[in-house]
Amino acid sequence: MSGRAGQASLLLAAALLAAGCASAVTRASTPASAAEPPSLSTSLVTSTGTWAVAVMGGSAAQHNNFWQLFVRPTATSTWRLVTPPGVASNGGLVMASLGAGSVMAAFRPSQDLSYSPLATTHNNGGAWTPGLLDAGLADVPDALAATVGGGHLLALLADGRAELSGPGGTAWTRLASYRALAASAAGRRCGLGHLTAAAFSPAGVPLLAADCTRPGTAGVFAYAGGTWHLAGPTLPSPYVHQIVTVLRLTTAGGTTTALLAAGTGSAARLLAAWSTDGGAHWALSPSLPLHGAKLTSASPGPGGTMAVVRNGSYAATVAAGGPWRPLPKLPPGTATLAPGPAGGWDALAVHGAKLAIWRLAPGGGSWAAAQTINVPVQFGSSG
Amino acid sequence: MPGMNSGVNINDPTVVAAFKSALLHQGIIALLIFGILGLAWLTVRAWWPAPAQAGEQAGPGVQPAAAPAEPTWRQLLRIGFGLIWIFDGVLQAQPKMAIGLPSQVIQPTAASSPHWVQHVVNWAGTTWSYHPMQAGASAVWIQVGIGVWILAASRGPLSRLAGLVSVGWGLVVWVFGESFGGIFAPGLTWLFGAPGAVLIYCVAGALIALPERLWYSPRLGRAILGGLGLFLVGMAVLQAWPGRGFWQGTSHGQPGTLSGMTSGMAQTPQPGSLAGWVNAFTRFDEAHGFAVNLFVVVALALIGAAFLSGQRRVIRPALIAFTVLCLADWVLIEDFGFFGGLGTDPNSMIPFILLAGSGYLALTPGTVPAVEAASPAAATAGWRDRVRPASLRRSVATAGFGTVASVGALGLIILGAAPMAAAQASHNADPILAQSIAGSAAPLNFPAKDFTLTDQHGRTVSLASLRGKVVLLTFLDPVCTTDCPLIAQEFRQAGQVLGTASKHVELVAIVANPIYHQVAYTQAFDRQEYLTQVPNWLYLTGSVPQLQQVWKNYGIAAEILPAGSMIGHPDIAYVIDPAGHVREEFSTDPGPGTTATKSSFAVLLADAARQALGQS
Repeated sequence: MSGRAGQASLLLAAALLAAGCASAVTRASTPASAAEPPSLSTSLVTSTGTWAVAVMGGSAAQHNNFWQLFVRPTATSTWRLVTPPGVASNGGLVMASLGAGSVMAAFRPSQDLSYSPLATTHNNGGAWTPGLLDAGLADVPDALAATVGGGHLLALLADGRAELSGPGGTAWTRLASYRALAASAAGRRCGLGHLTAAAFSPAGVPLLAADCTRPGTAGVFAYAGGTWHLAGPTLPSPYVHQIVTVLRLTTAGGTTTALLAAGTGSAARLLAAWSTDGGAHWALSPSLPLHGAKLTSASPGPGGTMAVVRNGSYAATVAAGGPWRPLPKLPPGTATLAPGPAGGWDALAVHGAKLAIWRLAPGGGSWAAAQTINVPVQFGSSG
Repeated sequence: MPGMNSGVNINDPTVVAAFKSALLHQGIIALLIFGILGLAWLTVRAWWPAPAQAGEQAGPGVQPAAAPAEPTWRQLLRIGFGLIWIFDGVLQAQPKMAIGLPSQVIQPTAASSPHWVQHVVNWAGTTWSYHPMQAGASAVWIQVGIGVWILAASRGPLSRLAGLVSVGWGLVVWVFGESFGGIFAPGLTWLFGAPGAVLIYCVAGALIALPERLWYSPRLGRAILGGLGLFLVGMAVLQAWPGRGFWQGTSHGQPGTLSGMTSGMAQTPQPGSLAGWVNAFTRFDEAHGFAVNLFVVVALALIGAAFLSGQRRVIRPALIAFTVLCLADWVLIEDFGFFGGLGTDPNSMIPFILLAGSGYLALTPGTVPAVEAASPAAATAGWRDRVRPASLRRSVATAGFGTVASVGALGLIILGAAPMAAAQASHNADPILAQSIAGSAAPLNFPAKDFTLTDQHGRTVSLASLRGKVVLLTFLDPVCTTDCPLIAQEFRQAGQVLGTASKHVELVAIVANPIYHQVAYTQAFDRQEYLTQVPNWLYLTGSVPQLQQVWKNYGIAAEILPAGSMIGHPDIAYVIDPAGHVREEFSTDPGPGTTATKSSFAVLLADAARQALGQS
């Protein structure tokens, strides 16, 4: 064999071997990341009804899954479908209470729709008035918030901006950008990760929530005096070395409730925190270990109550100042929990296009089938 | 790789019929090329008889009168790979190829390769998907042309040039069609065709292109077999490498790497008996995966070592064993490679056999020709002498059949390459894609019903006020998530395709949503679709009664659907001529909305607008 031919062949063989070796290398494990906010499946309590959002369709293709809005009017025990018409809801629905029983629903971007149409109802979903947010809402259940009287709206956008609107959801203006918040003194103290929630304090102060890369810091930011301040709860010593993520941040009935995750991976634990003064003082719940489970839903209830669903099967509730209380094992397909008509809880279980309502009486030991709603999902209409 | 898949069904009858028609027309042109060339050749020979004198200067590509026989190793390579190129060209003429090659062959091949490979391959796939007719036909004629050329030109510059063209086109196919033969992908194995069949074509082409003085050296044979031997030893090492899944017939109840590949191959549409053989091998490998891989590793290593030895008595049995191994692999593992309607070549094993066989034949020392120096006139003639009329006349008169066939083959290659090159000059896709999705437009001629609505800037606009311009009219939902944004993009692109003619065309959309119909939504939609800077774009809306009247006049039903669905409405466009008459109505259902189909619809819309302008 000639020398040149030999060299060329050697190079080829070496390259092929290198390709083979490269293919045999396995990916190194990555460190555990901060906990993620729960899905958009959640509930909301207003003076005129209890609302819940769940995704239906059961398809592997997102364009065949449609988010639905349900309401159970106050003093009734029956849920009904009230998804606002006119826009495809494949991207998700986010709701906010405007006060006096009014509710705003926002459509998240989906496929080629990049902004968020809005819809407002004043009669428990009997009629909807269209509105517009000319930007894409973030994929978190607290992406939209309203002041107690509904005069102002706060929207957390998918690109990390926060926008504030005037009365009626008009004239949106930029309140913060991710970059500006991260560069602020409060943002640097937190080591800002992802923005996870938007809310107003009972006094109408805009609040934003995030996960902080600096251990032991709860990323709740309050906007006052033209600057952002860290307003999260101070965590006790067991958590000072742990990454903290604010999973939910809501205000209802004069109380701001935050749901926190401390730690990562299988060591992550949930904590609830309550404040009535816009974050100056907080009361903390005991912790609830997640045992590596995924938090699939978190629903705020009256009086600062919070109900969480782990892996779609296990639930627990916590009330202000009280301990976590486990609920009986959830019915299959449970998407979210909502406060029930007599002080208990309703589990909304999704099976394709069918919604099954299961009811748990206060202190009850098992879930009872209460209602079934067949949702006329228009498969194929969005793809 | 979003751009590579045109999204059109590979069996779409419109595209298949157009592809067949293009091939038929080009085939007639190919026959004409050969017919005219043959006729001219016979005529010239009749008028200018070839000079009989010995030592007369021969033209380029013309076989010297006393040249020795072409060595058998070269004949084997030339005839073998010439036939394979022709076979590949014929495979490219399969009906599914025009649409299916990028999405069903190139894209899956590149899917497991690194991102940069996918990026490179995506460029070619996207280009193909924009012009499927031209690309499909060009592949046919280029490959048939190369094959005919290699077969026809047995020696001389034309023959060597054919080898080089084979290398050039082979590299194009290897890089863009075979994703570098998958050598950067994790599942690389000789059993499945590594390093790519077409790379072997390139090696063969390079050997064909070698100058005649190298043809007769036994060192050439040793170099061919040595290179092949080293490659096979490397492949044996790779095959034996742990962690690649070749040692296991099954893993956790799932097929191993090899059995997984062969079970996939067996799904290819093909005669049942062939699938039965492949399935039988799959089951055998699942049961005896370790033994199969051990056999392959040992066989490759031993054959490679034998080839490296350079000794004929060792190489001969190794060559027989290699041939048997290749044939077994070709049938049982590669499954012949060309079934299923989208096979592009018979895969790597036949080329390997040809390469190894020619290397073995080249080991036999040949007779070094003395005649290359026997034509002193040819040796000393410069290019000026060769292009003198008398020399050219002599060259034409003495040209053999091979030379004429080679020129004809070159004509075939140009026949394939020229339309593709012309198509490449345009950034717009072939309208055939849109026609295949939307069907044919209906020619009409009736007065368009007038309307008065509000545009995105709050100004009142009536259809009558647009008289004197062509109006491309459609109906769009500003909060739609799928079709409407795509149609708007197609309208925007149509304006770009029209170029300066777009000042005579208005691109008009009317809101098709009875709930989200306010001007704020048309403005948000325009920002979303980058329509704010399009001067001839109008997005019109009005009160619900106003809109309902327009919808009724133009046959639009905007239906409010329940449970989180968007508004249901038809995707329709009207072409209204400058006199205010509806001249065409066609479906604007954008289909899959790929870059190719969007561009194709834009061309269709622009063509319709130009036609309406011409009708005014």
